Amino acid sequence: MSQGSPAPAATAVIRARGLEKQYGLLRALEPLDLAVGDGESLAIFGPNGAGKTTLMRMLSLALRPSGGTLELSGQDARRQARRLRGAIGVISHRLHLYARLTALENLLFFGRMYGVRDPEPRAESLLAELGLAHRAEDPMGSFSRGMQQRLALARCLIHDPRLVFLDEPFTGLDPVAADLLRGILERLREERRTLVITTHNLPLGLELSDRWMILGGGRKLDEGTSDVAPDAFEAHYRSMVGGRP
Amino acid sequence: MKAPANGAGFVTTARLVAAKDLRLEWRTLDSLAGMLLFALIVLVVYSFAFDGAMNRELGARFLIPGILWTVVTFSGLISFSRAFQNETADDTLTALRLAPVDRGAIYTGKLLAVLVKLAALETVTVPLTALFFSFDLAPHAGPLVLVLVLHTVGLAVLGTLTGAIAARVGRGEALTAILLLPAAAPLLISAVETTGAVLGGEPLASIRAWLLGSLGFAMLFFCVAVLTFDYVLEE
Amino acid sequence: MSSTPNWLERSLYPLLVLTTAGMVGALWLIFLHAPEEKVMGAVQKLFYFHVPAAIMTYAAVAVLLIGSIAYLWTRDVRWDNLSIAATECGLFFCGMVLITGPIWGRPAWGVWWTWEARLTTTLVLWILLAAAILVRSYADNRELGARLASVLGILAAIDIYIIRKAVEWFRGMHPTVFKPGAERDVDPAIGQAFGATSLVFILLFLLLLAVTYREAQLRDRAERLTQALGR
Repeated sequence: MSQGSPAPAATAVIRARGLEKQYGLLRALEPLDLAVGDGESLAIFGPNGAGKTTLMRMLSLALRPSGGTLELSGQDARRQARRLRGAIGVISHRLHLYARLTALENLLFFGRMYGVRDPEPRAESLLAELGLAHRAEDPMGSFSRGMQQRLALARCLIHDPRLVFLDEPFTGLDPVAADLLRGILERLREERRTLVITTHNLPLGLELSDRWMILGGGRKLDEGTSDVAPDAFEAHYRSMVGGRP
Repeated sequence: MKAPANGAGFVTTARLVAAKDLRLEWRTLDSLAGMLLFALIVLVVYSFAFDGAMNRELGARFLIPGILWTVVTFSGLISFSRAFQNETADDTLTALRLAPVDRGAIYTGKLLAVLVKLAALETVTVPLTALFFSFDLAPHAGPLVLVLVLHTVGLAVLGTLTGAIAARVGRGEALTAILLLPAAAPLLISAVETTGAVLGGEPLASIRAWLLGSLGFAMLFFCVAVLTFDYVLEE
Repeated sequence: MSSTPNWLERSLYPLLVLTTAGMVGALWLIFLHAPEEKVMGAVQKLFYFHVPAAIMTYAAVAVLLIGSIAYLWTRDVRWDNLSIAATECGLFFCGMVLITGPIWGRPAWGVWWTWEARLTTTLVLWILLAAAILVRSYADNRELGARLASVLGILAAIDIYIIRKAVEWFRGMHPTVFKPGAERDVDPAIGQAFGATSLVFILLFLLLLAVTYREAQLRDRAERLTQALGR
C-alpha cells in the first residue's frame, strides 16, 4: 500500500526534515520527514504512545523540536515561531478554555491575544454558527462535553487560522456532537484550510483527509493517499502496528 | 496563504492576562480568600507569641516591621504559586504557549495580577497589624506606603518567577517558599530595615540608599524574569 | 550526545594523585610549619580550610552561571552536566564553609551562629543550590529539569552577587583577612601555608568537578541503556 510521499513539493505549507523529539534522554520521536500541501488534509494514525501527540505539538509550535528543521509557509519555524503561531489553530482533547469565564469571555480573551481586529462580532458569529449563541453569557464549566468541544473549536477558529491541528478531536463526544464536528471539519476543508488530524477512528480519519500516515513506536511506518477502501486500510493498519488498536 | 495576523503587543498582552486573572480571582476568590485568612491567623499567632507587655517594652518599631513582612511574605506565597496553577485545570497553559505573543508579556501580566492581590492583602493586613499591636500608623502613612510599594514589587517580581518554576514541576507553596525566600533575602532585610526606620519617624533621606537598592533589585530581576520566562514556560 | 571523552577519564587519576599529594603537603605546612597564631591559638588553623572553601564556592557559582547560560543558549546536554557538577561542588564547598565557620566563630565571637551578613549569604547560597537540585528531581523529564535549574542557576548567581554587595552596607563583623594594601604583620609561614592550601583547594575543586561531571555523564548513559533494553 505504500505510495511514497505524493506531497506537492513547491506548495507545501508544512515541511519537516529530520524532525525529532527527545525528552532529555527519552526519545519520543525518531527523525521524520513530512510535507503537507496548501489546503491539504493529513490524517495521522497510530496506537497510543506512537508519538502522534508529540508530532502534533511540534508542528503546532507548542513544543520545541530537539532536532531537524521545520518550515511553515516556507518560513523557519524556530526563528519565526511567534509570527507563525498567529496562523495556527489547535484542538485537542484538553479544552484550553477557562471554566470560570463565559463562552464569550473565553473567545474575546483569545481573540485579543491573537490580535483579531474586531473580536466581538467575530466571536458572536462563531457562537451563532456553532449553536452556542444562547449560552454566550454562561461560564464554560457549566456546558456539556459536546458544547465545550464546540466552544474549543470556536476558540481554535477565532483568529481565522490557515493551519488547523486536531489531536483526537472526537474523544468524548456523543454521536450528535461528533456529527456536528465532522460537518465543521468538512467545511474547513472546503475553505481550503490545511488540516492535520489524529484519530483512532480509521474510517472517519480517511474520510476527512487527502493523505494518511501511520506512526508506531516513535517512527513513521507508512504513508499514502486516503482514496482507499476503509476495510482494506484497516487490515493494513493492523498489520503495520501489530494488531494493537 | 495570507499573512497571519500579528498577535497582541507586549503591553496589550500583559494587560489582557492580568485582566483575565483578576476576573477569575474576582469570581472565585481563589487566592485572596486563602491569603487573607492565612494573614489573619498568622497575626493571631503573633499576638500569642508577642504579648502586649513585650510590645510596649520593645516599642512597635522593633516588633511591627518583622511581623508585617512575614505576614505579607507568607500570605503572598499563596498568590505566587496560584498564579500559574490556575492554568493547569484545562491545560490553558498550552493555549497561552500557542498564542503569538511575547512570553515575557505573559509573565508581566501574571505579575500585575499578583501585585493587585498583594495590594488588597496589604490594605487589610497593615492596618490590622497596627490595630492588634496598638500602634498609630497615621503619622507615618505616606513614607510607609512608599516602603511597602517598593518592596512588594520586588517580592512579587521574584515570587511570580519562582511560583511559575514550582508550578512547572507540579509543586505549590512549599517549593515556591524554598526558591523564593533565600533569593529574596536582601529584599526582606531591606524591607524590615526601612519599615523600622519609617515607623521610628526617621526621614526618608536616611533610608534613600535602601530604597534605591530595592528598586534596582526589582528592576534587575524583572529583566531577568522577562528574558528567561520563555524557558520556564516552554513545554 | 558524545560518547565517553577518554581524556576526562584519563585525567582523573593523575589529578587524584596530585591532589592527595598536595593535601599531605598542605597539612604539613599548616600544622607543622606555620606557627600557632598568638591571639586565636589553634582554632586559627581552621582559616586555612574556611577561606579557600569560600573562594571555591564562588568559583563553583561562576561555573554554574556559565553552564546555565550556555545550556539555555545551545540546549547541549553537556553544558547541563557541567551545571550539575558545579551545583554539587558548590554545595560541598559551601557546606564546608558553613561547618568551619561556626567552629571558628564560637571561640572568636562567643556564639556558634550569628545572623551576620556574610554567614547569612553563605546559608542562602547553600539553600539555593540545594533547591536547584530539588527542582531537577521534581521535574517530569530531564529537559524540563535542566531548563528550570538553569534559570535558577542564573538567578542564584546574580542574587549572590547582590547579597555580597549588601554585605558592605551592613558592615558585618566578619573579619577581613589580608586587607589589600594593609600592613601585613603575619609570619611568612602562615602566608606560605595559606597559598599552598589554596592551590590544593583549586586542585580539589577541579577533581570534584571532573568526577561529578563524569558521574552525570554515566548516569545519562545508564538511563539510555535502560531505555534501550526496555524497548
